[in-house]
Amino acid sequence: MTSWRNQATPVAAIVIVLIAWELLARANASPNMLLPPITAVLADIWANLEILLRGVRRTLTETLLGLVFGAAFGFVAGAVFAQVRIFEKMFFPLFVVSQTVPVIAFGALVVMWFGNGIMSKVVIAFYLTFFPVTVNTHRGLLSVDQQRVDLLRAFGASSWKIFWSLRLPAALPSIMASLLLGVSLSLIGAIVGEWFGDTVGLGILLVQAMYAEDMVRLWSIIVFCGLLGTGLYGIVAWFARRYVWWGTEY
Amino acid sequence: MAGSALDRVETDKPYEALAVTGKAEASAGSPIIELAQLTKTFDSSGQKVVAIEGVDLAVRPGEFVTLVGPSGCGKSTLFNIVSGLLDADTGGKIHFKGEERQGKELLGTVSFMPQRDLLLPWRRVIDNAVIALEVEGMRRKEAREKAQVMFQEFGLAGFERHYPHQLSGGMRQRVALMRTFLFERDLMLLDEPFGALDALTRVMMQRWLLGIWQRHRRSILFITHDVDEAIFLGDRVVVMTARPGRIKLSREIDLPRPRDPHVTTTPEFLAIKADLMEAIEEESMKSFMSQDERG
Ligand SMILES: Nc1ncnc2c1ncn2[C@@H]1O[C@H](COP(=O)(O)OP(=O)(O)OP(=O)(O)O)[C@@H](O)[C@H]1O
Ligand SMILES: [Mg+2]
Repeated sequence: MTSWRNQATPVAAIVIVLIAWELLARANASPNMLLPPITAVLADIWANLEILLRGVRRTLTETLLGLVFGAAFGFVAGAVFAQVRIFEKMFFPLFVVSQTVPVIAFGALVVMWFGNGIMSKVVIAFYLTFFPVTVNTHRGLLSVDQQRVDLLRAFGASSWKIFWSLRLPAALPSIMASLLLGVSLSLIGAIVGEWFGDTVGLGILLVQAMYAEDMVRLWSIIVFCGLLGTGLYGIVAWFARRYVWWGTEY
Repeated sequence: MAGSALDRVETDKPYEALAVTGKAEASAGSPIIELAQLTKTFDSSGQKVVAIEGVDLAVRPGEFVTLVGPSGCGKSTLFNIVSGLLDADTGGKIHFKGEERQGKELLGTVSFMPQRDLLLPWRRVIDNAVIALEVEGMRRKEAREKAQVMFQEFGLAGFERHYPHQLSGGMRQRVALMRTFLFERDLMLLDEPFGALDALTRVMMQRWLLGIWQRHRRSILFITHDVDEAIFLGDRVVVMTARPGRIKLSREIDLPRPRDPHVTTTPEFLAIKADLMEAIEEESMKSFMSQDERG
């Protein structure tokens, strides 16, 4: 009963907002339709489903590749920084500086280096993703309870064994938290990356709709961007809750 | 066995403690571990703290030695040194089974149970219990089979596949003990294993531990705050002074075994307790006063 009500309440809120939107849009119906009725957006989506899905496929691929490379690189960098203090001292400041330059500033450069294809978008998504993963991996691995490390050492464990049996599992919750952040960042990176030039992808469709002042199409694309972001986030969140259920405090 | 005389050790004649244990050793073989003149000074940001000073202590094979002393007198520090986690100051010596060992060389030679259970929340009970075997390189499957037969004895049958957060405090403590027992070493160090348990559970666990110890026959060095517990469990009770921790006295407990819980109300027990309490209260007072001064 309670759980039914818990789930129903937000749904009811969304429905109310949607109805209000529809009514408002119809009342103010104007030629350039600043706020198009939802029914019009749905009709547009239905009519252009193929184009939109092609964009989703492309942007999804870029996002996933950026996320996978970013997470892998971020994890390895964080792990190396945690295990080898000298590398941490040498390279960590460089990582921080790299993040102070807005990715947009690099955009044109990346396109010239990696071409106008999928690679340059993946690189930008990667650039946005790896840093939070590095930071959380590093912090997670080092914030392990020293007494637990000592216990394993007293059993004669090597640092290698301590890493796999203790540090890594203890760091996983914070690594998963950075992946959740990484999902959103990677999607942003992919969409923004497309703005620097391409022919397919949600980002390109957005730019085209903007120049065409096609308000309805703009909203159709926004809906898909939202679905993509929510979907990816939901999958990672589900995975985290299912397999990394222990917290950072115990 | 040794008489009931109180073997009081003057702190300026630290070797006497060794001599006392040396007498008893003759009958029970050479000591499994022998500490001589162990001192540990912590130096945190220029402030020197002498945690233990000139500690002499020997444990015979199969002996159950209980260690009592005021809070902060360096009991856990002593354990950390014996298990190889901390280096003692130069000058002290540790002989393990007759061989001199120091610092890291001791890692992996004794079975150590810290004050907190330190179970890993992501591992099932059985996998927590076998972690030391895993460290030794035993395959998971074999290790689990070895652990499986102990669940009954440790009162954990049916909980093999539970996670630590699903257990009560007493059960978690038994898992930690099982982990310690599975790491088969001749000397076990138990740091206040029952400190966090309620009185009733604690008594049950003490009896249970004695049963296990009698069957497995390992040497045990056991830290506790509870004098009753120290006397009830130990072949010998060692009292430490307030910080810097030294051995104040070492007293053989000649109560017959197996010990019944009712032994705690016998005149013999109460006489020993009165003796020990006097020494312990003196030290607790000192440590309390010195805290007062600082505060
Ligand atoms: N790593 C450390 N650095 C600095 N000082 C320490 C360190 N570990 C312990 N000490 C100090 O050494 C003294 C002894 O500590 P220890 O934990 O051995 O006491 P204890 O006898 O086990 O106390 P309790 O009965 O409360 O567990 C304390 O004063 C403590 O502050
Ligand atoms: Mg302690």
